[in-house]
Amino acid sequence: MGEAVSKVGVISCSGEEIPEGTVARQAVRRVLEALRPQQTVTLCLPLFLAGEEGERRFAREHPTITVDGCSKLCAKRGTEKHSGPVSASLVVAEILGDRAKGCHRSTRDAGKADEEAVWLVAERIAAEVDALAGSQAREEPSETPTAGAACCACGGPSRTGELTIEGKPVVIAGLPLIFQQLERKGLPPDGDGEDTLLKTVKIYHAIDAGEEAAYRTALAAAYRAHCRRT
Amino acid sequence: MGDNSKTQDVLVIPCSGVGKVHGLMSREAVFRVAENAANHADTVCLALLVTGDAETQEKVRRTPCITLDGCPKLCAFKNVELSGGKIAKGIRVYDAMKRHRGADFGNATALSEAGWAVVEELAAEAVQAAKESSSVQGNRHG
Repeated sequence: MGEAVSKVGVISCSGEEIPEGTVARQAVRRVLEALRPQQTVTLCLPLFLAGEEGERRFAREHPTITVDGCSKLCAKRGTEKHSGPVSASLVVAEILGDRAKGCHRSTRDAGKADEEAVWLVAERIAAEVDALAGSQAREEPSETPTAGAACCACGGPSRTGELTIEGKPVVIAGLPLIFQQLERKGLPPDGDGEDTLLKTVKIYHAIDAGEEAAYRTALAAAYRAHCRRT
Repeated sequence: MGDNSKTQDVLVIPCSGVGKVHGLMSREAVFRVAENAANHADTVCLALLVTGDAETQEKVRRTPCITLDGCPKLCAFKNVELSGGKIAKGIRVYDAMKRHRGADFGNATALSEAGWAVVEELAAEAVQAAKESSSVQGNRHG
């Protein structure tokens, strides 16, 4: 794709019958909220398939990535039927292989296996977004943090976290989710986890080398506060 | 759930709308029904139904359906009807949410305590509708 891509549509199957459907949905949400909030929107597949022209037009005019739970490829087939070829098609069952066995349909039952599966699939989706959007896809610091943030045709802004770095407020998209993930992985709230904290946030948020110390301190304090709340 | 060879009393089908908390609540309510009424209720993938899977369409046509929709676009209700299914009850998530006006239900990724409370109410409503549907069928066949 030679031109800059404004938004990539990411469409999850509904997949109510299998855990992979829930992983697909949660992974798409993770990309929208935390990994690539500025570059992605989602389309509601049943609405799309039911004939919502706005959704179909978007899929015709923008690159789309479908994320299906199983090899029946409902999201891919449905999208291609109404809006033409998709830019990329991912299948959760293929990505996870045996890992899917430990996953659940309900988020109420979600455990470590589900969380890891969601991250794994979300990273794959993010990589596809990057491939489509090229250098545009990496998160740019935003002066208006919620403007254009993760949304769908009907959704609101993503969850963000705000830090104060050298006296200035800095918004990090998906920071609460990053904290949740690290907490579930057992990252301690004291000083031992600061390197991991910084390294993880740097994946999703550009940090200049000269600001790393300030970020390290601010992130550690915010993570401690998060752990105290939970 | 999802085994097309099984014959269930009712199918419970959510919209699963990915953009709002409403869709997640519809989905989680169906999973709750699957726990509470596993011998009577089953579900099918709405997307599989809408993409024209013959086996799923056949299942929907021969089994009464309870739909749970997150938003007024009623995707589950409309798609089941379009597939030739008979709807025993159409449940609207936003009606249940009105009873908790002002509450924070969570978001499309994770539900809050209030969100899970609505899920329980929706599931109870769906289970009740499933029992009534089974009873009606039983009377017809008896």
